[in-house]
Amino acid sequence: MTDPAGPRLPSSRRLTHQALIYGSDEEFLAATVPFCLDGVDQGDSLLVITTAGNTDLLREALRDAVNKVEFLASEEWYGTPGSALGACHRVVDQQVAVGEHRRMRVIGEPLWHGRDAVETAEWTRYESAINLAFAACPAWMICPYDTRLVPEAVIADARRTHPELAVGASTRSSPDYVDPAATTGFWERRIAPLPADGDGDAAVLDFDADLAAVRVFVARTAAALGVSPDGVGRLVFSVNEIATNALQHGGAGRLTMRLAGRRLVCDVANPSRRATDWFLGYRPPGPGQERGYGLWAVRQLCRLVEIDTSDGVTTVRLHVDLD
Amino acid sequence: MARVIAREGQERRVDGIGQGDHLCLVYADDAEQRRVVTAYVRAGLSRGERVLYFADARAPREVLGWLRAEGVDPSTALTTGQLSVTTAAVGYLAFGAFDAHAVAQTLQAEVSDALSAGFTGLRVSGEMSWALRDVPGADQLGTYETAVNAVFAGQPASAICQYDARRFSAAALDDTQRRHPGTVELAPLHLNSRLRVTPSFRCGQRMLRVQGTVDHHTIAAFAATLETVLGWPGDVWVDLGELEFIDLAGLRALAQTAARLPAGRRMHLVELAPLLCQVVNLAEFDDISSLTVTARDAA
Repeated sequence: MTDPAGPRLPSSRRLTHQALIYGSDEEFLAATVPFCLDGVDQGDSLLVITTAGNTDLLREALRDAVNKVEFLASEEWYGTPGSALGACHRVVDQQVAVGEHRRMRVIGEPLWHGRDAVETAEWTRYESAINLAFAACPAWMICPYDTRLVPEAVIADARRTHPELAVGASTRSSPDYVDPAATTGFWERRIAPLPADGDGDAAVLDFDADLAAVRVFVARTAAALGVSPDGVGRLVFSVNEIATNALQHGGAGRLTMRLAGRRLVCDVANPSRRATDWFLGYRPPGPGQERGYGLWAVRQLCRLVEIDTSDGVTTVRLHVDLD
Repeated sequence: MARVIAREGQERRVDGIGQGDHLCLVYADDAEQRRVVTAYVRAGLSRGERVLYFADARAPREVLGWLRAEGVDPSTALTTGQLSVTTAAVGYLAFGAFDAHAVAQTLQAEVSDALSAGFTGLRVSGEMSWALRDVPGADQLGTYETAVNAVFAGQPASAICQYDARRFSAAALDDTQRRHPGTVELAPLHLNSRLRVTPSFRCGQRMLRVQGTVDHHTIAAFAATLETVLGWPGDVWVDLGELEFIDLAGLRALAQTAARLPAGRRMHLVELAPLLCQVVNLAEFDDISSLTVTARDAA
């Protein structure tokens, strides 16, 4: 497979993506304080997205340098994987456009508390997708994981999603790291069969070129199942994009909608000879690029988006919240 | 000047114009003028109305030629007095100068005359380019257009006042459109059961009105239609308030057209649904400096 990020650039012009696995306030500060102070010295921009507690700790420890750092709350930033990635892109784009700083340093602590299994899996993929999405960006990102709060399995995945680990002021490579585009398909994951956690019957529509019928079906079904008018609009737009792709590849498809806990889940399935990359739509489409806009937008309009190809069928599963 | 342009006034298809209407036709295309004039005069004759036409940029014989080309022989109507095709100098400047109230009164009298002569009503159309010449009283044009609303409203009479957008300023077009209760709709650039794209002038500006659905069925036609916009002078407004649905490819076609406009010209998307404004932002189409987006007010 060719390098998705294009030609290699000097290391300061490329992404550094590290996990900081810490079990105490001291360990958190031992890595983040030198990271920030060093960044201030080097004229890098600094963005810290973390919990209220860690914000307080870091603010106090940084003393005068605190004015050079922008703080945001994890609760605000980490709404959905798609929106977090989109927001990150806009920040990086702005940074590059302004051109004031040589490099951008980010501390980003995702939230894991209260995530169900599907959400946790998708947030893990988000961490992995960062390696592709920002590969060519002059950014240094440290993602803190608090072993006191975060489940062990999530910590183990953090070692797989980050090429490097931050330990105090030093770094070392992560021996468990798995390339997101690995040909072993490590990040490929079969989506759960729908009846597993579904409530009630599924609404099914086999569709062909008549996407107006698809849009009406989605709007009616979603509204009847309790999705807000705003959510219905986002789902109709999203399903239309995915179904348009499906028509281009297979000429027909099947739509399955059902409730799963506090979300409505909508599968768009179509026969497909070629596997679809799981990270499709996590990278913004480049200038002049005709394809790829659809999933990029859909990922930011839906709570979760899963992609899976198996047995010659590609399924894109969209999740939207119920009211 | 990125002001919001609401759908104000009414756009009326020429075949739907009836008694009581006082409309303006703002056009920038000779074929468009010919289409509207021919349809309007022809319908009046077939309904037994008296038709008065005041030519200015055109010669009267040219207008009569349009009718003949459509298979309408005007000679009988000219003989019986049902049809009169003369010049604006006769119709509007009969008093040597333009006198707004005198012309309005004359039209009032023409309505009565037409009925007395046994016609079912009156229809009048005039090419208004005479007002651009150094004519005494031409500054009363606005007063006149407002005054004649009363001549036609509720009466067995109608009028189309023709304004050539290539000659009148945007401010003058804006003013005249505000004074007319409605505008004659221009011929759609694209029309099928799913999508209708119609050019128009609003507030004196070029506007494209998009109605229906832009999805994988109509995207190719929509993108081809947008090519027309590139040839228009100045800024273009696109009214998306009557869309049933537009997909990302449709929004991208608009964005790419905006990006291709020559330097200094802009495309303004107005009345866009809030969700679609969000999509424009997500797709970073709003990074295109020649594109502005105004959301539809939340209902």
